[in-house]
Amino acid sequence: MNNNVDMSVDFGGLKLAGPVFTASGTCGYADELGDFMDLGCLGGFITKSITVEPRKGNPTPRIVETDSGMLNAIGLANIGLDNFIEEKLPILGGMSCAVFVNIAGKSAEEYIEVARRLCGFEQIAGFELNISCPNVKKGGIAFGTDPVQVAEITKKVKKAGGGKKLMVKLSPNVTDISATARAAVEAGADALSLINTFMAMVIDIESGKPVLANRTGGLSGPAIKPIAVYMVNKVYNEVTKGTGVPILGSGGIRTGSDAVEFMMAGASAVAVGTASFIEPASCEKIAAGIEDYCSKKGIDSLKKLTGSLC
Amino acid sequence: MAKGSFTATIGYNKRIGKSFYKIGLEFSGASAEVFADVKPGQFVEIDLCHASLPADNKIPGELCDSAGRNIILRRPFSFSDIAVEKGKTTVEILYCTVGPASLRMSNLEAGDSVSVIGPLGNGFGMPEGKTTALLVLGGTGAGPIIHLAKQLKNYPQIQKIAFVGARSVEDLPFEKIADCIGAEGGDYLAEFSGTDTQTFVSTDDGSVGSKGFVTDILYRYLKQSGVERREIMVYACGPEPMLARVAQIAESENIDCQVSLERRMACGIGLCQSCAVECKAGDSGQSIYKMCCKDGPVFDASEVVF
Repeated sequence: MNNNVDMSVDFGGLKLAGPVFTASGTCGYADELGDFMDLGCLGGFITKSITVEPRKGNPTPRIVETDSGMLNAIGLANIGLDNFIEEKLPILGGMSCAVFVNIAGKSAEEYIEVARRLCGFEQIAGFELNISCPNVKKGGIAFGTDPVQVAEITKKVKKAGGGKKLMVKLSPNVTDISATARAAVEAGADALSLINTFMAMVIDIESGKPVLANRTGGLSGPAIKPIAVYMVNKVYNEVTKGTGVPILGSGGIRTGSDAVEFMMAGASAVAVGTASFIEPASCEKIAAGIEDYCSKKGIDSLKKLTGSLC
Repeated sequence: MAKGSFTATIGYNKRIGKSFYKIGLEFSGASAEVFADVKPGQFVEIDLCHASLPADNKIPGELCDSAGRNIILRRPFSFSDIAVEKGKTTVEILYCTVGPASLRMSNLEAGDSVSVIGPLGNGFGMPEGKTTALLVLGGTGAGPIIHLAKQLKNYPQIQKIAFVGARSVEDLPFEKIADCIGAEGGDYLAEFSGTDTQTFVSTDDGSVGSKGFVTDILYRYLKQSGVERREIMVYACGPEPMLARVAQIAESENIDCQVSLERRMACGIGLCQSCAVECKAGDSGQSIYKMCCKDGPVFDASEVVF
C-alpha cells in the first residue's frame, strides 16, 4: 500500500473509501466473495437486481463465451424483495463500503415499490436503477432507451427513495447515450452508471438455433471495453462535466490500467463485473493497480484522475 | 478447510485413447491440506487462458475451427482420483478435448502451473445403510464415478457394480479396453481394479462390450436382482439423457439415486447464476432453479426436472 495517494472518492456527495464497485448481478449478495478477497477494498457494493416478487430467471443455457467476452441471459433471477430484506440486508449491513441496491421491475410501480420499501434501511446508501437489462421481456431496457421514459422513472423512483442516492444505469443499446444520460441527470439522478451490456446473439450452426435459451443475451467482458470507455467519455463531455454528477464506469474492466482509462475518460469510480467470474479477487487487484498507477505518476488524489484525458 | 484460489503444478498429463487425457494437479503447502479431503463429485475451476495451444499439426481436424478462439472464462472439472502424501496432494482429472480450453489443457506439461479455484460444490453422499451401490457412467462421466469407486473401498461390506457406457469404443475413457472385456465375473477395467467393483461395459454401437444403452443393462440387472430396493443406492454421471433415464428407472423401482450434473458455468462460486438446474419445489408441482455449482453438482435424482 502507498500512503501518498488519497483513494477516497466524493461520489455525488457520498464519501467512498475507494473507487472500485462490484457490478450488479456479478457478485451475488456479498456473501459469496468473502472467501476470496478482503471486502474492505471496495468503495461500493451493488447487489443483484431486486424485484418485488422473486424471479426464477431464464432456462439454460444462460451464458455463452465469445471471443474476449461472454453473453448472459440470466433473466433477473432474484429472491424477491421480502426475502432480500429478511435474509440479505443483515449481511449487507456488515459491509464497510457503500451499498447500492439495484432495482428492476416490469412497471414503474414495481420500481417505486422496491425503493419505497427499502428507503428506510440505514445500511443502504442508495439505489441503482436498472433500466437497461436486455434479458427480460417487459421492463428493463424498454424504460432505458427512450429519454422521456428515463426521465419519468428517474423522477418517480427518486421521490419514492426518500433521501437515498439514485444512480441510473444506462444502456449502450441506443443511438445517442448522451440523450438518455441527460434525461436522467435533469430528472434528478445523483449519479450515472454506464454501461450495461450490449444486446447480442451467438448461433449454434449445428442445430441452427441460438445458443442461449433466451435467444439473445448481453455481451460483457474485455470485448466491450473500448466502446464503454468511449461512451463514458462522451457522456462526461456532453452531460456531466461540471454538474457534480459522478459517473460509475464499467464495461470489461479487468486490470488497474483498464480502470485508469475509464477514470481518465471521466469516471469517478469503476464497477467490475465479468472479471470477478474469472478472478474473484479482481476488485482488490484493480484497486491496488489504480493506486500503483497514481503513485508512480505522482497523482496524490483520484479526483485529479477523473476526466484528465488530454 | 474453505475453498479458495490456489496455484497447482502439473504433475503429469497423459493421453488415453483418441481424445481423453488424465492430468495430475499437485498442491503443496496449505493448499495440499485444502484438497486432501475432496469428495467424489466436487470440482475445480481452472484458468486455462494463459496456456498455449498445441502446434497446428497436433490439433485434431474437427477442433481446428474452434481452437483459435480467445477464451476468457475458467472451465469446471471434477476429479477422477486423489493421492495424498505428506505435504502434497495430487488430484487427477479425466478430460476430453472438445474445444479451445481443453485443447490448451492438453498442451500443459509437467512442471507448468495453473490457477485453480476450489474445491467447489457438493460431492456424492456415501451409501450409509445400503448393501449395494450401483455406479452408472457414460463417456467422460467416468471421472467422478471412478473417484467414487475408490472412495467406496471404505465400505467393504457393500456390493459395488459399475455399468460403463459410451457411444463407441473410442468414446470410452479407459486404458486397454480391448483386452478387458468378457473376463470371468464381468468385464475388467484397470481404473476400477482394486476397488472391488464388478464392471459391465456396453456401447451403443456394440464395438466393445454388450450392444445397447448402459441404462438398458442397468434395467436388466435390476429386474433379475433380488436385492431389496431400499438397500440400493444408484450413482450416475454422464450425458443428460442417460441421467434422465437412470432417474426414471430409479423412481419406478423406488431406489435412491444421486446424479452429478454438468452446466455451463462462468464462475463456479455462485456469482453468475448461469448454471441453473430446474428442480421440483416440493410437491407443489412448481419448479425452482438451483445452482449446479453451489447446490450441486450432485443432486438427488428425484428432485431434478429432466
